Amino acid sequence: MAKISPKNIAEAVYGVSQGKSGHDLAFILKRSVVMLQKKRMLGKSKEVLNALQEIFDKKTNTIRIKVTSTKGIGHQEKSKLEHEIKERYKAQNVESEFFEDKELLGGMKIEVGDEVLDTTYINKLRQLENFLIQGK
Amino acid sequence: MSNHIVENLKKEIENFKAILKIEKVGNVLEVFDGIAKLSGLSDLRSSEMVTFGNGEVGVALNLEEDAVGVIIFGDYSHIKEGDVVKATGRILEVPVSDSIIGRVVNAIGAPIDGKGAIKSDKTYPIEKVAPGVITRQSVSEPVATGIKAIDAIIPIGRGQRELIIGDRQTGKTAIAIDTILNQKGQNMICVYVSTGQKDSKLRKLQARLEEGGAMDYTVIVSAGASESPALSYIAPYTGVSIAEYFMDKGKDVLIIYDDLSKHAVAYREISLLLRRPPGREAYPGDVFYLHSRLLERACRRSAKYGGGSITALPIIETQAGDISAYIPTNVISITDGQIFLETDLFYKGIRPAVNVGSSVSRVGSSAQIKAMKKVAGTLKLDLAQFRELEAFAQFGSDLDDSTKRQIERGKRAVEVLKQPQYSPVKTEHQVTVLYALVKGFMDDVPVERIKEFEQGLIEHSERNAKTFYKEVTESKMWTDKGEEQLKKAIGDFKQSFNK
Repeated sequence: MAKISPKNIAEAVYGVSQGKSGHDLAFILKRSVVMLQKKRMLGKSKEVLNALQEIFDKKTNTIRIKVTSTKGIGHQEKSKLEHEIKERYKAQNVESEFFEDKELLGGMKIEVGDEVLDTTYINKLRQLENFLIQGK
Repeated sequence: MSNHIVENLKKEIENFKAILKIEKVGNVLEVFDGIAKLSGLSDLRSSEMVTFGNGEVGVALNLEEDAVGVIIFGDYSHIKEGDVVKATGRILEVPVSDSIIGRVVNAIGAPIDGKGAIKSDKTYPIEKVAPGVITRQSVSEPVATGIKAIDAIIPIGRGQRELIIGDRQTGKTAIAIDTILNQKGQNMICVYVSTGQKDSKLRKLQARLEEGGAMDYTVIVSAGASESPALSYIAPYTGVSIAEYFMDKGKDVLIIYDDLSKHAVAYREISLLLRRPPGREAYPGDVFYLHSRLLERACRRSAKYGGGSITALPIIETQAGDISAYIPTNVISITDGQIFLETDLFYKGIRPAVNVGSSVSRVGSSAQIKAMKKVAGTLKLDLAQFRELEAFAQFGSDLDDSTKRQIERGKRAVEVLKQPQYSPVKTEHQVTVLYALVKGFMDDVPVERIKEFEQGLIEHSERNAKTFYKEVTESKMWTDKGEEQLKKAIGDFKQSFNK
């Protein structure tokens, strides 16, 4: 018998919850948790939730980004960044999370799914270090 | 001086341009026994290199629905769950250059002999599709191993794949080393791939090659017994990539895989850790392909496609002489013949312990020089008959004259084919000695004096059969005139020997 993956469960939950609301939806979600417990997959609930989130994002054409910088980003910069990301990934919605990290020294790091655009000073210094050591 | 350094550094820093690019990253889900499972990296290709935060390199082997299975080259003890992993976009490759000759490198092509960095501006992918049919040419030039039993009976041609198979301590590596030592001045580059061998053995081997001047044309690729199975798994592919670099330059290369049984064991370990289904002897289903794709890269390319060749001598260690085990049968079927070494012969003092009956070279005879073909034509049959008669003669004392003659000839043939380690014999000398043997000149020489006779004959004939020697070494021909001269030289020597 094939192994059930968190993605399979997420797809099933998404499938049965389509068009449901109120009591029906609550019942389905409760039954889903019972199924996870029966299949001994409660430990994988985080992966199931992530997979479910991915399915919803795909359906709603939403992109999630994580932006890390040394200090907070202004409102104008935020909306400009979101606009750029929307254009680049042809997305309808952008869900952004902003973090601060002093160790980056400057610049910012933008993460979209498994893609990263790193313009931080710490990364540039690392590249310079490699260049001086290995000539790469 | 210090100003100069500061100025140079300043210039380097000014020239430096940080590259701004989108990188593909993932995270470590779990690490165990040199294997890492990664999340993310959705576009990763098979055999693509990834780099871990601490600089370690890995290669993607398993691309699963929601994870990637990676083998880690090097120390994985500092890698932990949640670490960031970057995709490099490059299929695993090794640096190659002419300056790699004479060096000892590890499985990813980095020097380990303490002689500094190897400058190279080119890399070769370690996995490559073998040259196609159109680009190939059949084997026609010999690889002189300097071992009489092999050059005469189981000849190897340039571009051939000849398996060396036998139990432990039967002289498999010795044959490989002697072959490398004999390549001096033969226009051959040698690559010795050591997989899962003891470091002490490798060090000894390197010292022996240095002593014999063989490191001038040899590269050693080593994945030691203490290193991770991932390195043992890729070492033979690294070796053949280095060999291909030289073949692409039109050169002839000899590559030795010591040994492929340990390579298969390393691959089995990786496969089981990656949870690939086990098959016979717990090896994964693609263990045949593992070796066939490696050995197919040995070939002789036609002049139209740049010439050059790769001759492969894989080594397989059997357990208690069992050549019908999984890996030995696989490699026997892939290669163009095998040199079978036997423990019994080894302890009888017949060294190299080649079992002539079980050994075969399927394509090598077309690469043998005419002179050798002429003298060694019946040797294999004679030896096989001798072995049979020898066993038969133990039961009865009354034997007819022809049987007795055959047994006596056989005893001398066995003695002639004995050869100490690290003392390869030149082809022309082999031809001389074998001619004396098959033409019956040695029939009345006592068996215990055969070695003495052989040595004296070589010295005498070198002085007195110059035309014959010139023909054999230069034009590789066999003429009646040369034969007459050789016959006379042997006759003269025999007279003086008997006095």
